[in-house]
Amino acid sequence: MELWRRADNPWGESVLIGVSWDLMWAAVVLSGLFLVGHAIWHRMRPAEEHDNASTSAAGIPERIERHTLPARVFHWTMSVAMLVLLITAFVPVMGLQFPWVELHWMAGVLLIATIVYHIIHAVGWQDFWSMFQLGIGEGIAHLKHIASAKAPAPPKAGKYPFDHRLYHHVIVVVSMAAMVTGVLMMMRIQTPFWEPNPYLFNDSMWGVMYVVHGLSGVSLILLIASHIYFALRPEKRWITWSMVRGWIDREHYLAHFDPSKWDVKDGAPGAPEGGLADSSVSAPRED
Amino acid sequence: MAEKLIGADIAPPDLHAKITGRARYAEDFRAPGMVFAKLLLSPMPNARVVNVDASRALAMPGVIDILRASEVPAREGPREASLTDTPRYEGEPILAVAAVDEETAAAAIEEIEIDFEPLPFVLDPLESLRPGGPNAYAEGNQFSGQDGWSEFKWTAEDFARIDAGEMPDPECPVEWSKGDDLDAAFAESALVLEETIVHQSLTHHPMEPRSNMAYWEGDRLYAFVSTQSTQQTKFALAGALEMDPENITFISEFCGGGFGSKIAGSTVMQIPAFFSRKIGRPVMLRITRYEENYIGRARPGFQTWLKMGFLEDGKCNAIDLLIVQESGPYGASDFNTAGMIADLTYTPASMRFRAVPMYTNTPPKAAQRGPGGAQIISMMEPILEKAARELGVDRFQAHMMNAPGPDVSFGPRGTTLTSVHAREALEMGYEMFDWESKLAMSGQRDGSKVTGIGIGLSPYTAGSRGRDGLLLIRPDGRLYVHQGIGNLGTHSIADTARPAAEILGYNWEDVVIVWGDSSQGLPRSTVQAGSQTTHAHTRANHAAGMDALRKVQAIAAATLGGNAGAYTPDNGRVRGPGGSMTMAQVAQRAIAMGGEYDGHVLPEDIHAQTVPAAQGLAGEGLMGIARDNYGGEGSIYSWVAGFAVVELDEETGMVDLKEYVGITDCGTVLHPRSLGAQVLGGSIQGMGMAMTQRWVFDPKWGVPFANRLYTARPPGMLDVPLDLKWGAVGIPDPQTPVGAKGIGEPPVGAGAAALTCAIADAMGGRCVCRTPLTPDIILSELEGRGPAFGRLDQHVG
Amino acid sequence: MAKIRDMIPAFELYQPTTVEGAMDLLDQHRDEAWVLAGGLDSFDWFKDRIKRPSAVIDLGAIPEMNGIREVENGLEIGAMTSLTDIVRHERIRSEYSIVADAAEHVATPQIRNQGTIGGNVAQDTRCWYYRSGWPCYRAGGNTCYASAPQAMNREHCIMGRSRCVAVNPSDTAPALIAVDAKMIVESATSTNVYDAEDFFIGPSIDITRMTVMKSRDLLTRIQIPAIWANADFYFEKVRDRGSWDFQLVSVAAAFRRTGDTIDEARIAVNGVAPFPVRLEAAERIVAGTSGDEATARAAGEAAIEGARALRHNDYKIPMMRNLVTRAVRSVA
Repeated sequence: MELWRRADNPWGESVLIGVSWDLMWAAVVLSGLFLVGHAIWHRMRPAEEHDNASTSAAGIPERIERHTLPARVFHWTMSVAMLVLLITAFVPVMGLQFPWVELHWMAGVLLIATIVYHIIHAVGWQDFWSMFQLGIGEGIAHLKHIASAKAPAPPKAGKYPFDHRLYHHVIVVVSMAAMVTGVLMMMRIQTPFWEPNPYLFNDSMWGVMYVVHGLSGVSLILLIASHIYFALRPEKRWITWSMVRGWIDREHYLAHFDPSKWDVKDGAPGAPEGGLADSSVSAPRED
Repeated sequence: MAEKLIGADIAPPDLHAKITGRARYAEDFRAPGMVFAKLLLSPMPNARVVNVDASRALAMPGVIDILRASEVPAREGPREASLTDTPRYEGEPILAVAAVDEETAAAAIEEIEIDFEPLPFVLDPLESLRPGGPNAYAEGNQFSGQDGWSEFKWTAEDFARIDAGEMPDPECPVEWSKGDDLDAAFAESALVLEETIVHQSLTHHPMEPRSNMAYWEGDRLYAFVSTQSTQQTKFALAGALEMDPENITFISEFCGGGFGSKIAGSTVMQIPAFFSRKIGRPVMLRITRYEENYIGRARPGFQTWLKMGFLEDGKCNAIDLLIVQESGPYGASDFNTAGMIADLTYTPASMRFRAVPMYTNTPPKAAQRGPGGAQIISMMEPILEKAARELGVDRFQAHMMNAPGPDVSFGPRGTTLTSVHAREALEMGYEMFDWESKLAMSGQRDGSKVTGIGIGLSPYTAGSRGRDGLLLIRPDGRLYVHQGIGNLGTHSIADTARPAAEILGYNWEDVVIVWGDSSQGLPRSTVQAGSQTTHAHTRANHAAGMDALRKVQAIAAATLGGNAGAYTPDNGRVRGPGGSMTMAQVAQRAIAMGGEYDGHVLPEDIHAQTVPAAQGLAGEGLMGIARDNYGGEGSIYSWVAGFAVVELDEETGMVDLKEYVGITDCGTVLHPRSLGAQVLGGSIQGMGMAMTQRWVFDPKWGVPFANRLYTARPPGMLDVPLDLKWGAVGIPDPQTPVGAKGIGEPPVGAGAAALTCAIADAMGGRCVCRTPLTPDIILSELEGRGPAFGRLDQHVG
Repeated sequence: MAKIRDMIPAFELYQPTTVEGAMDLLDQHRDEAWVLAGGLDSFDWFKDRIKRPSAVIDLGAIPEMNGIREVENGLEIGAMTSLTDIVRHERIRSEYSIVADAAEHVATPQIRNQGTIGGNVAQDTRCWYYRSGWPCYRAGGNTCYASAPQAMNREHCIMGRSRCVAVNPSDTAPALIAVDAKMIVESATSTNVYDAEDFFIGPSIDITRMTVMKSRDLLTRIQIPAIWANADFYFEKVRDRGSWDFQLVSVAAAFRRTGDTIDEARIAVNGVAPFPVRLEAAERIVAGTSGDEATARAAGEAAIEGARALRHNDYKIPMMRNLVTRAVRSVA
């Protein structure tokens, strides 16, 4: 399997021009294997019991707002942009040809706009740092529990469980890499913003950009496929629905969250005003 | 003499072979054990080879060997070696690989791992003149044999004026002037025009690329070369190989065009010789069209500021001409001729000429048919016509009054001419073209099509003196004229022998032209270039003919009795008071008499290069051998006046040539049909230069496009009307015994200028002032959309 | 790897004698196969060693692909019919003169003798960046060198660009669009009929192809419907050189009239986009009029709607406008 695509520039110098499309197929296959593997693993694993008795329900509303309307609009707009980006990037390579370039950069611009909005919203109106707590101990506990059902269940999370936070960080890095390189790559094609200029950077720099963009893209195949998979899993649907309806019920709250970390009692300080960047991490969590 | 050959249409002896395909060009030769070489060309416009790994290539079955730059003589300064590790243009040969067949050699080239270090490069000479601009060489952008490399830049102030659209007043390495006070001459002018004009650089594209083959037998080199010249090329090759010329058997029977790019062969002709010496096998190097585009030479482009002052009657009174020449990596001297010809054609009272030839990293430049002259004429004639229009002077009269008369003196050294009948050429064209009725058509419209007419008057050098003629009357009675010139396709190989045949009373079918093979004995000749050949070799052969005549008469008198001077050769016999004898008998008698008669004693004043040739022929018949001692004063120039009618479509920018008349002053007409082909062929070449042909470079990568004939667009026979007309003044040059001058060069400028003038006329007198005038440029101008290029941009086509 | 040009590498030459045989070979060799018609495009690629197929399938020995036949409701031209045969064909000359006219504008007599109608419509672009073997988008790379700010793009497109700014070079393509020709594309598994304008695709759909044809497809025939027979035709090609030259811009137009009124028009332009452009807006303007000067000018203006120049090809905008105007004006 080839990893990179190289070409001779007009001076006969070999330069990187992007990742090999073999990697796209590898990502598709890996995604499939992961989904199937996970489904099998999950089926073979004994059902989990949730301790929702240890927490007092006193003062906890019936419906707990998890994602405000602006947060949900952001999530779904971004989802559309991301899916359009992935489809326009990879489906033509897979053989179904259609005019994809315009859609691709327009979706990219939309994605950037939503992210900018999201950052402003998160900084100004959300508990920005709740997404950025490290929680290493929580992570180790999660890993142990995944490795063995006998291992003690990890402690209940605050609003953003460890796996949500981890997914968020990964996708932030990957998406940012794709977006930054994507914007620069837009300099090479016709858009209403500027005349194309392929000589803004030298061949080697462009090569790196194409590789980073390509790697981000194929990584996003894996990330988005797994995201959708978990969102659709029956045991996760309650949290998926929260991204539609905006709220979770008291029962799921008590089962999955630690009120000391996510206080949702009426009038509690830090009570949620809505979802944070969980728009992109709405599902994956091992119950 | 009774002229039965001079002025007659006689098919040259090589015509049949050309038409039937039996003509052998350099690449048609084969030798036992011959291998094929292919070249690896530089992919970069300026670079240094840092690593070569040919191991995979050399391991391929059928691959013989590689030839590197280190195995051929290196050249110091801006001089070209046959192979180099420091290429100065994209396409410069780096190394050669030989294999049993071409496909293997080509495949081997692809297997070579080669790394280059790219270096800064320059395509546009103005960029190199800018302060801080790049230079074509790391060492600088100017070179002198004495001082070596230096960096030459204009000042920021100069460029401020250029950028403001003004004529700069910079320091220039080349400058001369004539007349007393240029400023005063402009001041007294009724009209002063100032223009910025760009003339493109364009490739030669001869039909036959410069292929060649070579092999060695001991110390003797057998070289089969595509070249314009023969004897001169042999000596050039000997010089490059640092060997005795007499150890070269040089073969060049046919040449499929050179236009100045193969004058004394080409640098690439050394490669088979070096390679063959290395591997001990004959080496054929077939140059492809793609390679020819790079190594096949090009006409230098000009970026020019021109100021012309005119008196009220249309007479040019003052010229201030500044040329920046794009010289490629190895230089060219077109600018010198351009200055001379500007002075000659417009005869101003005062003139200043300045030039800056600049090295660039574009394929090498060389003379291209009318070098310098063709460019400057196509650039300046529309300005003259513009002045006439603005002054209300008939354009034909403006050309007439500016054209020089016999008393002309021009250039920095007051050069004079042997003869000049430019005005007669104009007058003859006036009649044949019917200027008056055509003038009435000027500006007429048919829908979107506008008619324009124009005149281009173009001079160029047309001769030289002092070469040797060598001929034999063999015992078979036939006349063998040995020609050291090349067979360029102009027929001069045969036509210049006519004076000798005429003097000796030969019918043409009894004349044998010996050419193209140095082993047959070829005398010192001119290079087949600069339109020298007709003039120089009608003289040399005339001299040899006269020498032979003297000997024939002496032999006849000695054999038959009576006064030698009373004997006249005619139709294979020499007749006189004592009776007659055949030329075959004369030849046998000459051999018997020996001494000077059969070449055992040679004239003392012949060139040393002629001596071995003559010695090799001694004893084979009556030898006529002589140096051209006819002398003469002044330069030899020919002229062509071109008259054109075009139809310009204002909606498309397309120009359709409707009519063309080319009239030449080239002295006595030797061969009318051939002369017509030269006048019209050269004119069409000029039309291509002005209209269709182009060469562009990508500025980012420094590499040329339009590398193929279909993208370079030289015009063909389908691109011009079938009934182009030509004529010749036909007044003999008084300083040469036959009266004939050369004709190859001047038609190019005439064809180009007639078109640039006619197009300007169709545009109501507007001069776009650049070549080529392709539809995009014309349409943009007409639509007022502004050009898509900078006013001084070079290499945009 | 050092590069070398002008030397054709070896390949296996197949000369099938039936369409089925050709399609079997295409099916067998897939992406390694190259379809050879007249060779005028192919050999350029081969000798530059840029396209290096291992199997070249020469269609020259397939009689059923050569010749012009009268069929119900029109004419059918075998894809391997030479351009010269089209130029000389009596019925094409008399009833569909625009096709003969366009074919006659191709290159030179020698090239028309060798070149085929199928090859002419299926030929690759002549963008010199692409044909120099540079790794542009069309060549599978990631750069359009021709649209760079300082690029030499005088011949390139003013519309329809999508990363690539090359133009379609075919002279016959706009004429075939003007007469509403149908292109019959066959493969081992299917036969598809495309309207001429749909036969050509732009880089937005597939930047590596100029037509709908993929590696196993073969253009076998072109049908010209009788409905456009004896219409009023106009073809014009603007080029730098009077012969042996591709168009800068060309226009082909067909007008069906009742009396002085244009019932229907089909107008196509080439040299302005990566595909020949059918000008439906201009056609609508023209329909129902007499093709008077005002209409002609309006059609010309409509034609250049959305045109956008690169650095060196702004002239193509007025050139296209004027050619369309002239085409309409020709019927008045």
